Amino acid sequence: MSPSWSKSRNAFEPEDHSKIAYLWQKRFGIPVQAFANFCFYRRAQNVWVFSDAALPKLSYETVGLRMMNFKEDPWKPTSCAIQVFGRHATKNAVHLTSEQARIFFAGRSQVLKANVEAGYVVVSYTGVVLGCGLCSHGKLVSQLPRECRISSDAEMDI
Amino acid sequence: MDHLQRYQEIIPEYDVFLSFLDRPLPTSVRINTLKTDISSLLDRLDRSSIAYTCLNWYPLGLRLGIERPGKMIEHILGYIHIQEEVSMVPPIVLDPKPGERILDLCAAPGSKTTHISQMMDNRGLVIANEPSLARITSLRSNCERLGAVNVAITRYDGRRFPDQQFDRILVDAPCSSEGMARKDPEVLSRCSLKRSLDLLVLQKGLLKRAVQLTRPGGVVIYSTCTYAPEENEAVVGGVLGQFRDMVSLEKVSVPGLKECSGLSEWNGIEFGDDLKNCARYYPHQNDTGGFFVAKLVKK
Repeated sequence: MSPSWSKSRNAFEPEDHSKIAYLWQKRFGIPVQAFANFCFYRRAQNVWVFSDAALPKLSYETVGLRMMNFKEDPWKPTSCAIQVFGRHATKNAVHLTSEQARIFFAGRSQVLKANVEAGYVVVSYTGVVLGCGLCSHGKLVSQLPRECRISSDAEMDI
Repeated sequence: MDHLQRYQEIIPEYDVFLSFLDRPLPTSVRINTLKTDISSLLDRLDRSSIAYTCLNWYPLGLRLGIERPGKMIEHILGYIHIQEEVSMVPPIVLDPKPGERILDLCAAPGSKTTHISQMMDNRGLVIANEPSLARITSLRSNCERLGAVNVAITRYDGRRFPDQQFDRILVDAPCSSEGMARKDPEVLSRCSLKRSLDLLVLQKGLLKRAVQLTRPGGVVIYSTCTYAPEENEAVVGGVLGQFRDMVSLEKVSVPGLKECSGLSEWNGIEFGDDLKNCARYYPHQNDTGGFFVAKLVKK
């Protein structure tokens, strides 16, 4: 049952842990144990990941990090959650060269042959997880939010 | 600069202090251990030929020989956070532990919030409160970039934060920001005694509420980036007077960092000898900005 303080329209409701962990395991092969010390909350179409501490009765603007949204099918992971949990991914992950990483950081799309299922992927470069990408029809489209992009190649030393 | 003359008697080597205000502030960053570790980060800087010096008083602090660290990949990926060196002091003195309940009452833009989060290894609860919706944007974006999973953001007027009990509370209060003059010289043109006295009312309200919200044995850190005793010792002394039997002041001192003691009196107003336990940080003593830190312990 939802706690009494979460009745307002914008409240964060506790979300089923196994359901969310299973979705990430199914898509990225991330073991459910990777989420063992975290809990999930849902507000509208978004799921948030938070530490396993009890939340006191307060009105919240955010709870931990926004992890994914269900606005569209398939659900979309956020780049900040991919940066935290993506290192555990065993599938639907792509590894870029330095030139490809530049294009990804610029927020652009590029032709990429990768052995992945169509949809959202974990994007890495030299073992470092950069964020979320969308693979479809032989292309990788950067999903980095605007504030995480570097538009000028000249300014980037990766 | 004229405004600062009122501090001539309390700031040691006042001429040297003034000369430091004309010098640009060193670019300093904090290593975010939620996403990397010291040796991996230093390896990356070495490979990129970015010059750096490690702070002699704090292993997670670095000075960088680069003008715009905001464009660095390490910054965008959240491995480092650009933060004035001496503003790392309040979380260090707060000393939060993994699993505790912490309140950061005036949190935006989140430098200290995320510092607290990493000191807790992303465990426990950090409530980051910020009344301004506009400033919550930067707070939230820093938490996301740095991967601070144990932070929940609220938007209350800190003076009326709802009844709760916390292990430790940071009140990094809104202030006249005189200590930021090396970063933004314009800041001094907005400073006046009247402004400090206006802020004092707000600051006292915030600190008083923080004391009420702290569990017995818990800690409240009060900090500002200003020199004005009206916004520092007068605030702490005033609140101490209201909670005389419940709160004591502990000495603030960080090894490797030079500080001056807090003032026991100012312009004929007595604050009390225990206010000497507070720490005043001046730019010329550590080549930083200016800061004030007080540590209150609830009995």
